[in-house]
Amino acid sequence: MHPQIEALFDQAESRYLKPEELGLLNQYVDSLPARLTAYRTLRDRELDIMQPVADQLQAELPQEKLEQLERAIKNALLTLRYCAMGMLLNDDTFVKERLVGWLGGTMSLYNNATINTTLYRLLHQRLSEVLGNSTTSLLTPHLLMAQTLLHELTPQT
Amino acid sequence: MISVADLLTNNRVPGNYFATDVYVRSDLELGLLENRRGDRLLALPETLIQSIYAGLDKETGQATRLVLFNCGKWWGKNFYTRFRDELTDYYGQALSDMTMAEFLQCLQQCWVTHGWGKIELDHQFQQRGFLVIKSWNSPFAKQAPQGTRPVCYFEAGILSSFFSQLTGRDLHCVQTTCESLGADANHFVLGLEKRLGAIAEMVEQQTDHDTIMGKLCA
Repeated sequence: MHPQIEALFDQAESRYLKPEELGLLNQYVDSLPARLTAYRTLRDRELDIMQPVADQLQAELPQEKLEQLERAIKNALLTLRYCAMGMLLNDDTFVKERLVGWLGGTMSLYNNATINTTLYRLLHQRLSEVLGNSTTSLLTPHLLMAQTLLHELTPQT
Repeated sequence: MISVADLLTNNRVPGNYFATDVYVRSDLELGLLENRRGDRLLALPETLIQSIYAGLDKETGQATRLVLFNCGKWWGKNFYTRFRDELTDYYGQALSDMTMAEFLQCLQQCWVTHGWGKIELDHQFQQRGFLVIKSWNSPFAKQAPQGTRPVCYFEAGILSSFFSQLTGRDLHCVQTTCESLGADANHFVLGLEKRLGAIAEMVEQQTDHDTIMGKLCA
């Protein structure tokens, strides 16, 4: 759950919530149907989203090793799943913690900046085609944050 | 052509198995700690660790080191089995089929999540038959009584047993630097026992880690 909302419930233990606090909760609840729809679309059309991205990636970077491309796509699948959950919960820290825990440290040796730059460009394009602009706008902040994080976790060559 | 469907394992993309918030579960009413598979976890209070050191020292004196090392070996044996089973289940492949980076990432995350601090492997001396392991923020070093020699015998035992089973060779482990002596990290050297024989005396004389490694590999 969004950390701010979680904190809200904790604080309201012995009093009523203030109007601005309720407003925050209202905002989240109002956005929930859209988040659920986006989540369902991402879940049901995952392969339909990723396969064209994988094909295009391979076409644009024929010089890269297949193993590295596959690893990057696998990581992108995982990242997209984390982002979908982050979007549903409206919680950035969820994505951050999962990604740093798995793609940081020793695993960061596998991160390839060239592949990831192209991959995420293609992914953004594909997502706006499949999801439409309003749904993409719910997911994009999480995906952009994951991308920045991934960039930070990539060793500089 | 890359098939995205083939990259999934039972429609899963395995990630960080040892993520702390997922791995450790607690039942407040029963006062139990469990891991994500439902195996019991044990929380060691600082006082207990301090008491183990103090009690063993009083009861067995110098043999404390050996007792702790052997307890660590026993623990490490079970720890390895559990680690292997959990990872094989979760990642759907044998430990030996994992890439080195994946394996190390899991081990490091596992160490952190169990509250044993950070751990890193140094392969620099691998060609010479030694593996160096560095650890930071060890609770066993932090709670140990102040002395003149490294004190993480327990961890040395765990590492010895863990890597012996992993490599199929009988490996010994000696600690060369210790946070309890003001070092920035704990260094452990793993190798065949007869080749590590000379280390004990150098550690006793508080020779620094680099000099020890230099002499071992000379």
